[in-house]
Amino acid sequence: MSAKLELLSQNLQKHLGDRIVELQVALSEITIDVDVATYLETMVQLRDEPELQFEQLIDLCGVDYSTYADGRWTGRRFAAVTHLTSIAHNWRVRVRCFAQDDDFPSVPSVVSIWNSANWFEREAFDLFGIVFPGHADLRRILTDYGFVGHPFRKDFPVSGYVEMRYDPEQRRVVYQPITIEPREITPRIVREANYGDVENA
Amino acid sequence: MPDIQNYTLNFGPQHPAAHGVLRMVLELDGEVVRRADPHIGLLHRATEKLAETKTWIQSVPYMDRLDYMSMMVSEHAYCMAIEKLLGVEVPVRAQYIRVLFDEITRILNHLLWIGAHGLDVGAMTMVLYAFREREDLVDCYEAVSGARMHAAYFRPGGVYRDLPDSMPKYRESKWKSAAEIKKLNEMRSGTFLDFLQDFVTRFPKIIDEYETLLTDNRIWKQRLVNVGVVSPERALQLGFTGAMLRGSGIAWDLRKKQPYEIYDRLDFDIPVGVTGDCYDRYLVRVEEMRQSNRILQQCIDWLRVNPGPVICDNYKVASPPRANMKSNMEELIHHFKLCTEGMHVPEGQVYSAVEHPKGEFGIYAVSDGANKPYRLKIRSPGYVHLSAMDELVRGHMIADVVTMVGTIDIVFGEIDR
Amino acid sequence: MGIDGILQEGFITTTADKLINYVRTGSMWPMTFGLACCAIEMIHTGCSRYDLDRFGIVFRPSPRQSDVMIVAGTLTNKMAPAMRKVYDQMAEPRWVISMGSCANGGGYYHYAYSVVRGCDRIVPVDIYVPGCPPTPEALIYGLLQLQNKIRRTSTIAR
Repeated sequence: MSAKLELLSQNLQKHLGDRIVELQVALSEITIDVDVATYLETMVQLRDEPELQFEQLIDLCGVDYSTYADGRWTGRRFAAVTHLTSIAHNWRVRVRCFAQDDDFPSVPSVVSIWNSANWFEREAFDLFGIVFPGHADLRRILTDYGFVGHPFRKDFPVSGYVEMRYDPEQRRVVYQPITIEPREITPRIVREANYGDVENA
Repeated sequence: MPDIQNYTLNFGPQHPAAHGVLRMVLELDGEVVRRADPHIGLLHRATEKLAETKTWIQSVPYMDRLDYMSMMVSEHAYCMAIEKLLGVEVPVRAQYIRVLFDEITRILNHLLWIGAHGLDVGAMTMVLYAFREREDLVDCYEAVSGARMHAAYFRPGGVYRDLPDSMPKYRESKWKSAAEIKKLNEMRSGTFLDFLQDFVTRFPKIIDEYETLLTDNRIWKQRLVNVGVVSPERALQLGFTGAMLRGSGIAWDLRKKQPYEIYDRLDFDIPVGVTGDCYDRYLVRVEEMRQSNRILQQCIDWLRVNPGPVICDNYKVASPPRANMKSNMEELIHHFKLCTEGMHVPEGQVYSAVEHPKGEFGIYAVSDGANKPYRLKIRSPGYVHLSAMDELVRGHMIADVVTMVGTIDIVFGEIDR
Repeated sequence: MGIDGILQEGFITTTADKLINYVRTGSMWPMTFGLACCAIEMIHTGCSRYDLDRFGIVFRPSPRQSDVMIVAGTLTNKMAPAMRKVYDQMAEPRWVISMGSCANGGGYYHYAYSVVRGCDRIVPVDIYVPGCPPTPEALIYGLLQLQNKIRRTSTIAR
């Protein structure tokens, strides 16, 4: 692990202490898992502490872990993953917060800490159904105006349930149930880590 | 006293200055905007969800179609993410070719930006001039991959194939005589690098022409100076990256601060603005075009003298050369497995970001060891810039809204994905 | 002579037809309905190298002033009502060119939940231009084929 990554790892452990549920270092990146209860104060500290100083929130997205590795996942289903960047120290960190409830996932909103989280949280709500209490304007952003469902969840089919066409009698566009069949060209296969390993081919 | 309400105006999805499909609901008090609410999603094509149903390499063309003004940079971020997860090394020549095409793409993007911005603000000739140069660069894309726009040239492990030795030439026809053809074919008579060298030599003069048209133009200045001023603190809070951040005075460029590929071996400068208004961002982007030209010159010089492989030789990731595939059994099996099942990417998660012409373009990829991505999140710069629109246009007039939409340099392919 | 009973093919109506079609095909004004990447190729077609102005084709921003709508790019469910509205605002005679594989039949995004699988589900299409994106040459070919179609099928008889 490089010196800078080592320093960041030490600073995170020093200032956040036991609020970090897990700290992973992989592929030159640091990921910290944080609990929902301590999420907001951890984020404030990440922004304000001079030795951490993550001024920018680069990305916030939802992840649905229900079919991870063909169902071998044992943790909770939904997570909100945040990527932060520090311009002053020139380092990045990934913060992952698992939502407590699988049926009604909810993660506190960080829009008061970093304004850039505004649309990211709206998108995570729209596509996954993760609710962010504290966000003033949580409405759908990418899907259609009367859309039902949260499309990026793993149980939502990629072709959806409805499609659109123009109806000449009603003289407007209407929804109808879909008429196409799902199609999978290559099946999804998870192989063990050293499948076919022949010394770097 | 009658109740005075704001007038709500729909800046509709079909609008000549809407840069694609943007719907904004503007609340106006006369001509001044009190609130702006952008509605996006009119081009939401569920790229991330579709990428989960396709193998890793089958999603490379989706990255082209995200930001369709600057195609190869998005592919670059995606290929870098896969290479990080796999742990493969890209050969040096491939890295130089990638940087070459990244900078060609940056110039392509800024040319379209300056043409479209000029067209929106009213300087309509800029489109014609900018697209004249774009045609030459799009010919470069076509020479190397076969397609003018969506090239799918970058692959995990390197690039698809090496630079060609000859460029397609104009042919004689009954409307163009041989003498005219000879003049047009002059720059196409050598290899690809000769053609690009000719462009690079001509380009600084051309940028000077564009600057003569716009930079000291009274009307341009009156439309752009002091419109949309963003202070550095607000820029950081709102999540701005790229030229939006540099226009406000913060010198942050991923090519210098977190260099990837061979950017640390190249010599170039980063232009930084002062006031953070639209005029500064315009100057920053024009200067970026000049700096890209400098980088192109260095890449061309290196590529001329250093031959080598252009894709990694780990056949679990990249297909073996066809001649080997047709003669050896092992290569045939590798080719078969790659084409039917695709490569297997080890379990893990990675965030890879590149300095896209519009800002920081990042790919967050989660893999669970399968041949398809588990979750692919595309962090596009335009998304964040457009979310700041409300704050940027408050207190300005409707005509300034059009200027703001132009200066934040958005394109809906990457915003709606 | 064919003046009465307009459906009869007489000398005056066919000459009138030829003249009117000459005028219509000589100045087809498309509306800029660029949705996605195909819009960039449409702009390329209109610019310096593949000039469309030499065919009399100038892009108009308003549907009320245009003859042709070139649907360039992916049509999504959210955009479809807006597109139908814009099509309804165009005055007859009007034609539609579907440009690119997304507009033809959903294209690369056919299996997505939010994409209309072909703009011909929403508006009647006259010419389909294939490609992803179609090169400017292909688009010009499509426009010339539309001119041929107008000459062939358009008559002053309604």
